Amino acid sequence: MDATGEGQTPVIDEPLLVERVRRGDREAFGILVDRYSEQAFAVAYGFLQHAEDSEDLVQDAFIRALERIDKLGRGSNFGPWFYRLLVNAALNRRKYLARRRTEDVPASASGPDSPAVDTERAELRGRLAAAVSSLPDDLETVVVLHDLEGFTHPEIAKVLGIPEGTCRSHLSRARRMLREALKEYQR
Amino acid sequence: MAPEHENQPIEGLDALRAPNRSEAQRQAAQARILAAAEPLLERRARPATSFEILAAWARPGLVAASVALLVFAAALQFGPDRSSEIQPVTLEDVLASGEAGDVPALLVAINEPDTDAVMAAALLQNGNGGRVPDDSGEGQ
Repeated sequence: MDATGEGQTPVIDEPLLVERVRRGDREAFGILVDRYSEQAFAVAYGFLQHAEDSEDLVQDAFIRALERIDKLGRGSNFGPWFYRLLVNAALNRRKYLARRRTEDVPASASGPDSPAVDTERAELRGRLAAAVSSLPDDLETVVVLHDLEGFTHPEIAKVLGIPEGTCRSHLSRARRMLREALKEYQR
Repeated sequence: MAPEHENQPIEGLDALRAPNRSEAQRQAAQARILAAAEPLLERRARPATSFEILAAWARPGLVAASVALLVFAAALQFGPDRSSEIQPVTLEDVLASGEAGDVPALLVAINEPDTDAVMAAALLQNGNGGRVPDDSGEGQ
């Protein structure tokens, strides 16, 4: 997957699509939704760890994008701008959640293992989620986009509006902090 | 240069990845997004009414008016102190200086006096106590 969303739907010049959406073209907006919604769901899930919350967040992000699309510069691509909206919304949403919820391990992931193995997996998952969410926002964002969703450094740099070098150093720092936080469990 | 292990993702992080959604779930999610976007798209598709144009300007207009009000208030609050400006010589100044026997106010005034002040000073000079002489000459 990549931040441009290409490869999911036939490539149509994105600035042109944005222009059409500005004029209220449903088909153009539908193409953008088709192109970005699945990856957006994965990114949202990386932050929220809850499927329904993530779906709601993606919907809100698309609506917000539509409301503000006049602010997207002429000739700009929709993807990086949209992901920035989404990431900010995800970070804000999580702050407002009363308590952190971690969804049960999906049945498809649990497989035929014993209940003890499932419990251990769920515990690891909970610890990982807690460790990732305890990172500073910018470091967490880089981890989610890079290590979970496979965005490249140039793509993340575009989304966050930071230099690539900063993105790389954020990732190194985030991994160091995560290893430190999980050290006790990994022994 | 970062240590080698910092170039590797955290082991087990894959567990935080989103679960795969079925095609039906994807379609349903997209349909919800499009349905929620419908009113906004419809509004964009039709030309804006004059009321909507006015409404769009309302917020910037209010902000501009608030800023202007603040600037005006600040100018009043922090502007030059008008009490230090030179005031014209008034009739009261002249009469007060005449009664007290001080230097006549007209001599110490920087700016020109009004007609009443000149008249009062002239009467005081004549020793008339500021009273206008009547025709009978009683004041003399």
